[in-house]
Amino acid sequence: MNVPVGSYPGAVAPARQRFVRSLGLRLNVVEWGDPEGEPVLLMHGFYDHARSFDTFAPLLARRQRVLALDSRGHGDSDWPDAYTWQADVLDVVNVLRDLGRPAHLVGHSRGGGLATDAALLFPEGVLSLVNLDGFGPPPAGWEAEGMRRYEGTVPELLATFFDWRRTNVQRRSFRPSPSLDELAARRRQQNPRLSTEWLRYFAGHGARAVEGGWVWKVDPYAARGFGPWRPEWIAPAWRGLRMPMLAVWGDQPDAWGLPDPWRSERLANVPVLETAVVSGAGHFMHIEKPAETAALVLESLARA
Amino acid sequence: MKRIPSGRCEIALHELRAGPGPTLLALHALGGSARDFAALAAAWPGRVLAPDLAGHGASGWARGGSYTPELLAADADAALSEAGDAVVVGRGLGAYVALLLAGARAARVRAALLLPGRGLAGGGPEPLREPLAARNADVLRMLDAAGASERAAFDPMLAACETDPRPPDYARAYADAARRLLLAEDGGARPPWWEAARGAASAETAPAEPGAALRLLVGAPTPG
Repeated sequence: MNVPVGSYPGAVAPARQRFVRSLGLRLNVVEWGDPEGEPVLLMHGFYDHARSFDTFAPLLARRQRVLALDSRGHGDSDWPDAYTWQADVLDVVNVLRDLGRPAHLVGHSRGGGLATDAALLFPEGVLSLVNLDGFGPPPAGWEAEGMRRYEGTVPELLATFFDWRRTNVQRRSFRPSPSLDELAARRRQQNPRLSTEWLRYFAGHGARAVEGGWVWKVDPYAARGFGPWRPEWIAPAWRGLRMPMLAVWGDQPDAWGLPDPWRSERLANVPVLETAVVSGAGHFMHIEKPAETAALVLESLARA
Repeated sequence: MKRIPSGRCEIALHELRAGPGPTLLALHALGGSARDFAALAAAWPGRVLAPDLAGHGASGWARGGSYTPELLAADADAALSEAGDAVVVGRGLGAYVALLLAGARAARVRAALLLPGRGLAGGGPEPLREPLAARNADVLRMLDAAGASERAAFDPMLAACETDPRPPDYARAYADAARRLLLAEDGGARPPWWEAARGAASAETAPAEPGAALRLLVGAPTPG
């Protein structure tokens, strides 16, 4: 935010910015659109940030007040001492309470999972729910590039976590890249469907300048926790949803999306479900096809 | 009292008893502190170390309110590093943490004695789902308590460790890896994870009275 990062077609910087306190942390919230409008809260995915909505949010803002939250450890929000899923969900509740009126929740990927759990926990604050391909990992975990697999028994893995935490938790950043272009190129290896031009814009807001180049603002520790959590615990909870869910995915194969049969099996638990498919897009449908995705979401909000 | 780093937090490690002989590492219950072990420490023939787990006593509170038994076990692991190797005693939540530590650090935990107390059960084998309204009220009450201005005796966010899932097969994996596990029984009900740990080859039944249970560990030959 403090350096010129160029522009991207259709990208509009937020009109307003503020911080919301949650559990001792300062969380960054940015806004587009009429401040008196009916609010929509956008939740980004893992290792993304609120400014990843710069092309999508302005399209929603034609009809809604649009807010986007930087999750703890991401973007311009504070870093906690440790990460748990529940604390992230409680951040969403705190942002909704700070807003003081119910909002639509729209979450992408991990943000879709957080939005869904926030809607379960705090239904009085949530008008409707849009989940953009945030249906959790496959039963055996992600196989996508960059997700390291750990081998060993459960107690051995906990010992590995202890050792990792002892040596890595004080790290303040990833290894610097000499330029934003290289940072964007590295990210493209994880997200090959996204254009270099977009990723450079994305990196311009998601990274900061340090000695020796550029580093992502995201906490390197945000990836790591340890516990008995199991993917099969995700979907049964959705039976308790008290508002409709619009579930959206792209029709192009993408290592980060949840494929069938798991997607269908999980969504069968949603009491009031709408589904929509964005053609020609993968996991990042709101970035690849912002106009089409925004139209689907606005139609759904109008029905809710 | 010494302050030691554990992750991004600092925890207070108390030496309750000095001296040569085997080290006892004592892990308090939910809402407790190292001071709860004063009487037990007097009965142990060696050195006694006891941390205040994060969010408790003289230790720091986890910034951002993140607590799980595994993160508290990382605090206990930091304390174990100060001890070298140790017999571990845990009460309530500290007993579950002791089980995790005994499995993860089997080479350095000679034996673990698990005593009942607050936070022993957790939330059961799976996440609590029903009744949703009651669960939500509990979680939001915790959030309100965490947002209250006056500082409580311990971090209200620790209540997450009363509802966290503790699958029996998960607990059993630690019990199977542990060298020696003593489960203090008084005939009272125990959670499913405890019952699963009881089935491991390393598990023995111990008397409910903590002093009597600890005496089983003093002078007994250490297997392994």
